[in-house]
Amino acid sequence: MRTFTTDVLVIGGGATGAGALRDLVLRGIRCALVEKGDLTHGTTGRYHGLLHSGGRYVVKDPQSAEECARENEVLRKIMPHCIEETGGLFVVTPADDEAYADRFVDACRRTGVWVEEIPVREALHREPLLNPRIKRAFAVRDGAADSFLATHANTDDARRYGAQVLTYHRVVGLERVGDRIIGALCEDLRSGETVRVHASFIINATGAWAGKIAAMAGLRINVVPGKGTMIAMNHRIVNTVVNRCKMPADGDIIVPIHTVAVLGTTDIPVPDPDVYDITPEEVHQILEEGECLVPGVSRMRALRAWAGVRPLYKEQDAGSDRDIPRTYKLLDHETRNGVAGMVSIVGGKWTTYRLMAEHTVDLVAQRLGVTTPCRTADLKIEPSHDGAASAPHQSARSQFAILASPFYMLGHRLAEVEADDSYGELICECELVTRAHLEAAIRSEGTANLDDLRRDTRLGMGPCQGGFCTYRAAAIWHELRNGTDRASGVPPATALLRHFLQERWKGVTPTLWGDQLRQERLDELNYLETLAVDRLPDAGHVAIEQKRDYVVEEVV
Amino acid sequence: MRTMIVIGAGLSGLMGALALAEAGLRPLVLAKGQGATHWTAGTIDVWGADERSPREALQALGESRPRHPYALIGAHAVENAIARFRALTEVARYPYVGGLDRNVLLPTAAGALRPVALLPVTMAAGDVRLGGEVLIAGFHELRDFYPPFIAANLAAQGIAARGIYLTTPPAFRRHEYTTVTFAHMFDDPTFRSDIGRQLRAHRGDATRIGLPAILGLRDPLGAVAHLQHESGAQVFEIPTLPPSVPGIRLFALFQHAIEQHGGRLQIGSEVNHGDGQNRLLTTIWSEAAARQQEHRVERALLATGGVAGGGIRTDHTGIVRETALDLPVRAPANRADWFAPRFLDPHGHAVYTAGVATDARLRPLGADDEVVYDNVAVAGATLAGTDTVRERSRSGVSLATGWAAGRILAGLVS
Repeated sequence: MRTFTTDVLVIGGGATGAGALRDLVLRGIRCALVEKGDLTHGTTGRYHGLLHSGGRYVVKDPQSAEECARENEVLRKIMPHCIEETGGLFVVTPADDEAYADRFVDACRRTGVWVEEIPVREALHREPLLNPRIKRAFAVRDGAADSFLATHANTDDARRYGAQVLTYHRVVGLERVGDRIIGALCEDLRSGETVRVHASFIINATGAWAGKIAAMAGLRINVVPGKGTMIAMNHRIVNTVVNRCKMPADGDIIVPIHTVAVLGTTDIPVPDPDVYDITPEEVHQILEEGECLVPGVSRMRALRAWAGVRPLYKEQDAGSDRDIPRTYKLLDHETRNGVAGMVSIVGGKWTTYRLMAEHTVDLVAQRLGVTTPCRTADLKIEPSHDGAASAPHQSARSQFAILASPFYMLGHRLAEVEADDSYGELICECELVTRAHLEAAIRSEGTANLDDLRRDTRLGMGPCQGGFCTYRAAAIWHELRNGTDRASGVPPATALLRHFLQERWKGVTPTLWGDQLRQERLDELNYLETLAVDRLPDAGHVAIEQKRDYVVEEVV
Repeated sequence: MRTMIVIGAGLSGLMGALALAEAGLRPLVLAKGQGATHWTAGTIDVWGADERSPREALQALGESRPRHPYALIGAHAVENAIARFRALTEVARYPYVGGLDRNVLLPTAAGALRPVALLPVTMAAGDVRLGGEVLIAGFHELRDFYPPFIAANLAAQGIAARGIYLTTPPAFRRHEYTTVTFAHMFDDPTFRSDIGRQLRAHRGDATRIGLPAILGLRDPLGAVAHLQHESGAQVFEIPTLPPSVPGIRLFALFQHAIEQHGGRLQIGSEVNHGDGQNRLLTTIWSEAAARQQEHRVERALLATGGVAGGGIRTDHTGIVRETALDLPVRAPANRADWFAPRFLDPHGHAVYTAGVATDARLRPLGADDEVVYDNVAVAGATLAGTDTVRERSRSGVSLATGWAAGRILAGLVS
């Protein structure tokens, strides 16, 4: 068993946890963060990427709208490299109640959400694929945010000031002495080792999992995991965030982010944040609703669907999920339950993560007797590398991470391929993964299977979904690691190949129809007919996976 | 005006067009693009679902699965198609060997062993029964062929194999390499001589050498002979991921034969609508270069492929359509039933069995088994009822039903 001591332990490597870590360290408080998967592996990495203007909540949830509007401006200032200023539109489609639009404008005025009505023809000029029958259009300050990049930017900055970040560390117990929580027991999922963390204070920033953590200290938090399913379309069908101007409901928003456009979302309560699936009905519903905004969208090419779980907090019994406020809630277990040493932060939006962190750390600092004020609203987060993606500073993810990290921009890679003239070296043509990227990822410590390579390099995440590169990556893996793997018990590359094909299959099936199904059949011709991988030896081997609670495709 | 229309230029369309051309009917082949020939191995896989020989399986299917494409046309028709195909490849001096008596097991580019009925003679020395040590040789520059991986998987199945990389001679360095750029290099005797010398140096105890299927487009047999002479071992090709050089050869061979007999290929024309009356298709429309073209139809062969070829198209609501003539389709009732949980499920995914049902004369049938058009025959992957990829019968079904459909439309089958 390993033991270390810190002042504040943050549980959860999503947006809120990472924000809290940076806030703490900027106030001079010694702190560490533990995350059971990779950073952003929970809900942060599985949302549509919307930077809220607040418009979505002005009528239904004005407090959340005000918070979003304020934080929208703050985030644009402190992390411009993580945000694309797409602008947003709220449009009244023929299917929508026309009376809502006036209420919407009034509510925007009351809540300080910037809004400006624009002529319909101007909206159609900006977004030519938009339904030509829309009746009114309102411009707002929505944007697209890279939540991977933003979370890493926060933790990178926190590390610069001395904070510790431990990924693949799962909390297995909280240590409680009488009415005080004094630390946590974690399992290092890579080594299997138990790690004991002594902490004066714990911040439970685990979102939809907050109830599970609190239960470890005998505390009850009523978190309702609200599953939201989204679909990534193969291209940016819009360049502006487009919302329907109506009470928030399923499938009423399109967010352009990086090279894709995301249609979202559904909202279905699930009993357990670790157990859920995506149904054909949900996918169908999102596409049919999308037709109101962009006619023909259901005939366009969908790449994949995924779901995240909202950390909705329920004080008493509300009606449906949609009726639960979207504002956040800070739960002080000392005043609520008489148990000192831990607070839980639940609810909220990605857009308000910083405010949630500030509010949380204000309370923690007060308990610790620290009077330094919060600085995160003013202090810009510097990009780690020349305005490009920042890289996690772990030995397992070395210098290649800047180009191979999950939050890269495709344009950066293209520039690199052009500069090096390495077209002939592309192993994954869709995502511009070169042989050099792939070899570095294969050689890096802790990589156990081809799916880990995908997270590191985006291998197989483009339109062909691994039709060619799965074979190439498995064969290159064999060449680089065959000798050492055999000694250490890692299964042969053929087992990894089959494992990857299966993982990919789980992610693509919800959106397989039309062109994407056609592509999938070509992939079958490759793997079954031409390569006959089903007839390869070693069918009994199973690939080693890092323990994960659930497997759903990651965001875009 | 050509009124014998073949829609689709994959193996089934090409076989059907050949039958029509040979009968003097001057077919017009309309195809959106090149067919599955260019994406697949270029072998003829008649049956590989189990250990039976292709002939045994064909004979049993008539009883056990009367709606299987092979059963519809009969084992005899399959034999005829194969005989015609072999004769065609002989004349073209790119002969296919093998037959229906037994499958040959050929190594794949992953090192698996794949059952094949007919194979181009350039792959013949890959037959695992030949024994002896095998050298697998490739090029670092070729992204779709990895000799150490192939050799290791062959070795795991008890086949003595080594994998090595060859050096591309400096004079032949390119900006980017594909199977086709390599095929052009192998057309050049100086390139082959250099490679042959390298093979000899690496040969060791190997009696057979496997290379990626890139050994030239002009004269692959000559290239193999040249490499065998230089290396002192038997040389064979192993199919790669697309683009498939053996498939391109096959397409060229068909195109030549069809045109020689008075047929014509119009690639780039997508047929997207058909119209008829009294059970006769009378007109079809194709689209190319933003222009609609109307074709009067006397008889038509529909060979547009399945889901992969674009002949069968699905949408998010679970609707499955035949894309050229909008014929009735047999498919799983709803989208929830399309897929098995495992990608490599031995029974495959139900959606790929979707297609057009036909009678024994390959005429399209409606929901109550009524004939939709008397003057249309359907062939290849557009046919309903079986997943030929899982069965390892895809190219065999295309070849046999294409030929049968062409013969039926030519009035040569009673």
